[in-house]
Amino acid sequence: MRTHSRQAIGPLMAFVVAGCSGPQSVLHPAGPEALGLAHLTWFLFGFGALVLAFVLAAAAIAVRGPERWRAVVASRCMIIGAGVFFPAVSLTGLLGYGLWLTRASIPDTEGREPLQIEVTGEQWWWRVQYAPSTRSPVASANEIRVPAGRPIRFTLQSADVIHSFWVPNLAGKLDMIPGRATSLLVRAERTGVFRGQCAEYCGKAHALMALTVVVMTPTDFASWLENESRPAMEPDKPESRRGRSLFLEAGCGGCHTVRGTPAAGTIGPDLTHLGSRHSVGIASAAMNERNIARFMTDGQHMKPGNHMPTFRIFAAVELQAIATYLAGLR
Amino acid sequence: MTVAGAVFLFAWSGIYNVAASSGHWAVVDWFLAFGMRNSVALRARAIAVPPLDDIERVRLGAGHFHSGCAFCHGTPDTGVGPIARQMLPSPPELSKSVRTWSDAQLFWIVQNGIKYTGMPGWAALERTDEIWAVVAFLKKLPTLDGESYRALALGRVRLAEQSGERMATNDSNLQAAGACARCHGAGSSGPTSALVPVLHGQSRAYMVAALRAYAQGTRRSGIMQPLAADLDKESIERLATYYAGLSPTEPAHGSPSGADAHGRILATKGDPKRDIPACDTCHGRDRLPRYPRLAGQSAAFLAGQLRLWAAGHHTSTPGAALMAPIARRMSEADIDAVAAYFSGLSRLPAGGAP
Repeated sequence: MRTHSRQAIGPLMAFVVAGCSGPQSVLHPAGPEALGLAHLTWFLFGFGALVLAFVLAAAAIAVRGPERWRAVVASRCMIIGAGVFFPAVSLTGLLGYGLWLTRASIPDTEGREPLQIEVTGEQWWWRVQYAPSTRSPVASANEIRVPAGRPIRFTLQSADVIHSFWVPNLAGKLDMIPGRATSLLVRAERTGVFRGQCAEYCGKAHALMALTVVVMTPTDFASWLENESRPAMEPDKPESRRGRSLFLEAGCGGCHTVRGTPAAGTIGPDLTHLGSRHSVGIASAAMNERNIARFMTDGQHMKPGNHMPTFRIFAAVELQAIATYLAGLR
Repeated sequence: MTVAGAVFLFAWSGIYNVAASSGHWAVVDWFLAFGMRNSVALRARAIAVPPLDDIERVRLGAGHFHSGCAFCHGTPDTGVGPIARQMLPSPPELSKSVRTWSDAQLFWIVQNGIKYTGMPGWAALERTDEIWAVVAFLKKLPTLDGESYRALALGRVRLAEQSGERMATNDSNLQAAGACARCHGAGSSGPTSALVPVLHGQSRAYMVAALRAYAQGTRRSGIMQPLAADLDKESIERLATYYAGLSPTEPAHGSPSGADAHGRILATKGDPKRDIPACDTCHGRDRLPRYPRLAGQSAAFLAGQLRLWAAGHHTSTPGAALMAPIARRMSEADIDAVAAYFSGLSRLPAGGAP
């Protein structure tokens, strides 16, 4: 039995430790904002562990300890000192430490102009809009790309109910409140792909309201932004061209924008460069043609409650043509 | 126990005569009718009655009565036919018996049918709008003579007099002849009722899909389903081709008015704040022929369809899966405004018509 449990501890510990890294973890910070929170977290864990050890030791003495030690644990001095004075002082100290750590977003932008990104929470997806520093507006959905090293100012809004913007590797949670804009200043210091999640219950598909944050090198980011600001590319294959005309004739443009075509709807995500994103179906599946087609015909099973009507009006070849066209929009 | 055994023995022995021809004893007749009337009265108590003197409802109800009810209940011209009269109980001649029921009771009977009598329930129970149309017509029935009945039920269809040979050899029964045209019109005349859609110049692909959906029961209608279920694939295509090829008549119902300014905005721009896309992105020019044309349809019909979706009815066809979520986002005022807007538009083909 004893060896058995010891054998089990190895993989268990590996599992626990693995939970600390990864694309959605407070304990694996990728920027100064998150680093402060990680410090606070570790400090709290450590301090809490010390207090717990002390309490357990006192309990053990009270039950089994020698008479003399028990008298110490039961003394008035111990009760007032460890039971009243210590919690009051340590909790006040912790509060001060926490407030100091989170006193502001990054205290200053080091004299650099922050990159402005507007993120709007909608049931149940993220509308992403880059400040029009480029010729045409850059819009995305459920995916945010940022350059490493440069401060980024997120302006957070909500189109319907309260959401909360949380990318644990970059910063703490910040609510998105209908009717007002909140602001979050962060900086990512290493490149990577991180995952964010709505952290305030917002309705049926809340649990599936995720987003991807891609931190790129400044040069990669600049060329990505340059590409994003261009209108959608012309389809080169006959199948993609057929897909584009079906997309337009089927009324997809009523909700979606594809810049460079008559499709200019603003209800759903901008699809101008859909093919370059990591995920499809409002961050519920990997980006590929199959998942695009599946989301159109069976979206309610991929992401129950999402607001896009189900398009079961297409023949298989038509569906494939539209998926090919959309996946090709890079 | 003894009674149950006796009843079982009675049924087992076969002594009881189930012949419809032998009829019931008068006392049994009375008892059954007594039970039926009380049962209907109890169940119809809570039914709220909409206004029934609407001529559009009466006309739609008349069109259905002729194909769905007249075979058993007869018409003012024919009375109850000799075959139906041999049923037990024989179907009442409604022009006389309708007055003995209240509106709510008639509704309940048409919707649910009556056990052990041969009176069937409605093929699409949730389509109360259709059932009320039948009730509206039934209320009118006692006042009709043969001529006024034909004017209502046959619409503007004039059946050409057929030669003896054609009558002798034609397989289709006369009842079915002109079944579509009785309500939807044909040639240069349009629908008889504002509750009936205009098919003239409608997209062929859309009509084929709609008739198939009616036939399969995925699009729910107690009026259309029985008719569409009789049609095979080729007939559906021939009918759709015929109506698609007719030139659209100008609107007979509704006219542009101030009420449609809001409708115009919804139709052309939608309301993105409330996730309502513009109607024109699917129903406008150069769109897929499988989407129906809305221009020039009557406001009553369009609003009725939107309300069915908004209420969660007939949502299982691919087209309804698209429209139902959008209709649910629309307010009553949106529905009326957008219906008024499209009813005022010219019926000229939208360009993409095949």
